[in-house]
Amino acid sequence: MQASQFLASVLDQTTPILLAALAAMITTRANILNVAVEGMMLVAAFVAIAVGEATNDVALAFSCAVLAAILMSLLFGFVAIVFQADFIVAGLGLNILAAGGTLFVLEEFYQDPGGLRPDHFPDIWHVPSGSLDWAPVIGPAIERQSFIVLLALALAPLSALLLYRTPLGYSLRAVGEDEQAARAVGIHVVRMKLFAVAASGLLAGLAGAQLAMDRLHFFLPDMTAGRGFIGLAATLFGGGLPWATTGAAFLFGFFGALGDRLQLLQAPSQLVLMAPYLAATLGLVVARWRAAARNRPAPIASAET
Amino acid sequence: MTGETKRLARAIAGPVAIVAAVLAGGFVLVLIISSDPVTAYRDLLFANFYSRSNFALFVNRTMPLLLIGLGVVFSFRAGVFNVGGEGQLYFGAMAAAAAALALPSAPFPLGALASIGAAIAAGALWGWIPGVLKVRLDVNEVVSTLMLNFIALLTTEYLVTNPLRDQTAYGAVSFVIPRGAWIPEIPGLPGATSGAVVAVLIAPLAWLALFRTEWGANLRAAGSNMRFAEAVGVDAGKQIIIAMLISGGLSGLAGAFYVLGIGHRFEQNFSPAFGLIGLTVALLARLHPIGVLATAAFYALVLNGAAYMQIDTDVPRSIVGLLTGFLVLFMTARPRRGLIAV
Amino acid sequence: MSEGSAAPLLQLRGVVKKFDDKVALDRVDLIVERGEVHVICGENGAGKSTLMNILAGILKPDSGEIILDGVPVGFADPLAASRAGIGMVHQHFKLIPSMTVAENLYLNRQPRRWGFLADRDAMRKDAAALIARYHFDLDPDARIARLSVGQRQRVEILKALGFDARILILDEPTAVLTPPEVEELLGVIAGLKARGRTILFITHKLREVKAASDRVTVLRHGRRISTRPTAGLSEAAIARDMVGRDMRPPKRGEALRDQRRGAAVLQVSGLAMTTAAGRRLLDRVDIEIHPGEIVGIAGVDGNGQTELSEAIAGLVPVQAGSIRLAGADMTRASPQRRRALGLSFIPEDRLDRGLSATMTIAENAAASNYRLKRLIGPAGLIRSAARDAFALEKIGQYDIRGAKPALPVGQLSGGNMQKVVIAREMEKEPAALIVAQPTRGLDVGAAEFVHAQILAAADRGCAVLLISSELAEIFALADRIAVMFRGRLLKVLDRAAASEETVGLLMNGAELEAA
Repeated sequence: MQASQFLASVLDQTTPILLAALAAMITTRANILNVAVEGMMLVAAFVAIAVGEATNDVALAFSCAVLAAILMSLLFGFVAIVFQADFIVAGLGLNILAAGGTLFVLEEFYQDPGGLRPDHFPDIWHVPSGSLDWAPVIGPAIERQSFIVLLALALAPLSALLLYRTPLGYSLRAVGEDEQAARAVGIHVVRMKLFAVAASGLLAGLAGAQLAMDRLHFFLPDMTAGRGFIGLAATLFGGGLPWATTGAAFLFGFFGALGDRLQLLQAPSQLVLMAPYLAATLGLVVARWRAAARNRPAPIASAET
Repeated sequence: MTGETKRLARAIAGPVAIVAAVLAGGFVLVLIISSDPVTAYRDLLFANFYSRSNFALFVNRTMPLLLIGLGVVFSFRAGVFNVGGEGQLYFGAMAAAAAALALPSAPFPLGALASIGAAIAAGALWGWIPGVLKVRLDVNEVVSTLMLNFIALLTTEYLVTNPLRDQTAYGAVSFVIPRGAWIPEIPGLPGATSGAVVAVLIAPLAWLALFRTEWGANLRAAGSNMRFAEAVGVDAGKQIIIAMLISGGLSGLAGAFYVLGIGHRFEQNFSPAFGLIGLTVALLARLHPIGVLATAAFYALVLNGAAYMQIDTDVPRSIVGLLTGFLVLFMTARPRRGLIAV
Repeated sequence: MSEGSAAPLLQLRGVVKKFDDKVALDRVDLIVERGEVHVICGENGAGKSTLMNILAGILKPDSGEIILDGVPVGFADPLAASRAGIGMVHQHFKLIPSMTVAENLYLNRQPRRWGFLADRDAMRKDAAALIARYHFDLDPDARIARLSVGQRQRVEILKALGFDARILILDEPTAVLTPPEVEELLGVIAGLKARGRTILFITHKLREVKAASDRVTVLRHGRRISTRPTAGLSEAAIARDMVGRDMRPPKRGEALRDQRRGAAVLQVSGLAMTTAAGRRLLDRVDIEIHPGEIVGIAGVDGNGQTELSEAIAGLVPVQAGSIRLAGADMTRASPQRRRALGLSFIPEDRLDRGLSATMTIAENAAASNYRLKRLIGPAGLIRSAARDAFALEKIGQYDIRGAKPALPVGQLSGGNMQKVVIAREMEKEPAALIVAQPTRGLDVGAAEFVHAQILAAADRGCAVLLISSELAEIFALADRIAVMFRGRLLKVLDRAAASEETVGLLMNGAELEAA
């Protein structure tokens, strides 16, 4: 029971990071450093709660959340790709816009800068309790997880399939590796990059929806708490490869869950909250260190002249 | 116009245009949502001059934006995308508070100087870490500085809610800093810290260092083409680390000036995203140290003005955050002639 | 030869192309006959690549007509040109290194399985068939990153042929090949011609022109100067058309020619550099250069020349061996220390290593020269008036066109940028100079100027290490000639003892037999 509870906690922590990491990965393969995942997630979370409160229609709230994230991503994409703005500055700008925009809407239309906490909020579909009793450890861990968690777990292998087995994936990777070569065979570089950005918007939207709609049912400014960047760290750690990125996301989620456990042991809450950020930083350092060691020139035996 | 003034003019022409456009868009937005748009915009732009104490607050707001902005200029010019100003600010502020509290009987100015020294060191350390990680291991500095921001904020939050907390005061704040560490106010402008004057003096010094010393030329070479810098004999790695030390140190200094000169204690969440705004301000000034003076003052003006605007009218202050988002998003875009080719 | 009898396959009439206000092509006419091998020849900047890029659909002409098989055509993009039967093999390969041969061949036109997946088996089979049809020796599953340059070129050729191209355009195909690979390529071209393909071939190497083609067209400054059958045409005649006057080889100063004055300034012994996998980038390299002599290192790009120049300059560490400058051991010294001891370095890629494009001409020229030219005043501040004066002096001395001290150096033309690099590096009258590919991308006038500077430096007593992939350049300037092949420095010959033939053999790795 303990193990599956912990595993459930890991899945909980990992899912938004994994989705953010996959979002960052798709754009990384198109040679775009995407720091705007954070902002896209935040907007999705806000729209999910706002639409859900207004209409009480969970499917509509979910769709609008993902759509909002895609629209934000296209805004970023157009400015950075078509108008050739600096990617990092534009990405940071999008994050500032997301934070400032959501706060503005909160203050202007909801008169509450502290957040949006609806009294009633519809619930999304969760794996029914008791349906997976027959699977040891994993079964109970997956029970009561939202469908977005299942989607995220499926998206990891699906993204690998997309990248390596579909014509779209080939074109995307070509654009990321050598734009000139891609153009020479007639691939529309700008369209490919915009597609990558939109795909990352979709994934970020899923992450934002998961954060707001799964158990919390409310929106707080800054509720994404840097998970978009932790996802980016996971992608960098994994070198843009789907399986390594997924592994890194799980690693960071694991440390997040571990931190949660420590909280029960009276560790200060701030220390606990620090766990994923520390894990991400250390993970990046370790990844780069190993890469440096791998690329070190081979020594020459002194016996040789 | 001399070559230098021309370069400065060219540096701020583009941003001025974008700021004007965003302000115009903001005015349209205010028109739509407010019943009294004229007062709103008047407050936004001029409230700082309504009274001496308003002006003092404006001066106080300019100080951290200016210092953090100058820090960004140094790091970006060395080729490092340092977005860790917030964390470096917090660590500097915490170090200043802790040092002052640790030396309660130190007289002025020794107490203040010791605290300032501690703050600069703490900020510099928090800039050194991502710098060295980038140089030695090629760790992406955007991610590392952002992670370190969170770690710094959480660490200082822990410190101010536990060991350093002043239980008698309301909220998570530290004890009041001993008098020996207080930084004086600007004579004639009560409430405004003289740290702002120091900040204003640092700007031209930064310009001199970057554009009129061989060290500065080497730093800019390392930032604009590291392989070229290496080839002409510059130790690019060392330049980058020094730039990060300076960058972090300046943010730490801002923290010291805040704690020792304005709040007189460490308060949790005292910074309304100074780090990110400092970054905006530096980018808006196209990384020109003197330009940062202008853009930092402008932003302090607008941020404070927005607070008055919210009190006087029905326009929420977060409109500034919204407009800033658009500003930074579009700031580096290049308009294209003709139709978009997709 | 079917000249005049059948209708030409391809006709270009009055093609004009301008980039901003620079005229790249000035009303060029061209006729290409069916089944011929037609060489387009010219110096750097003559317009050859621009013309071919227009044919391949990469650029659009500002005016003029392209008539293919009697029908006027216009190509919206490279894909349209491919579909019309024109395939281009670029000088800089447009291949994706992490993908296999088959994946590259079918990029953007993968066969589908179940509608949305790429059919990798079909790709592999079709690729194998294509390879077999032309008797190329390639493994469809090999990753491009692991192929040799010659093999990659063959993949590029297949890509162009794969669309059933009637006209194949090759852009400087032999620039990166070793002599035996060049022979192989000429064989491939002959084979393609035998199958009825028409081949357009850009080169500035006169010997290849003679060896491979039926007719040759010379371009100069964007204009077509002549089109003549190759048979019976002399290399000198072609060169005259390319340059517009007779070429004058630079004269080597007689004074120091036969003397090796003094001890060696630069001594490299047993230098070795490895990759992580243990492959030798530099393999026990020994060389000594004396004051006043020019040692030329010939060789095809990619055999260790870059590594050698960067190792001596101190920019990349070595794993074994030693470097001595004026007797002092420099093997682990910083680039700054090597400069202080009198070493200067003109790197092979001026925009990559030689300059910072966004910094001003004055700043680029003054870099590393501040103390030498006393540009630092009291309080450690730069005297900007003095720095500008220094820049103006160099602009005049080196005739750097279009330059002002406050102009960002990236706005100059290639030749003028190179002059800035040379001005900076020569200022300290170096004891030892490493200069790599000094005239790459320069027009004839600029190239002559650069050669004169190098000779002048040697005449002043500088020890020069010249690295170049242009044999003509080596033979014009060097006193002794060495060849780099796979990281090893083969044989160092006195120029008198060397011929282009023997050096060519060495470039292939053959050892000379004892004389």
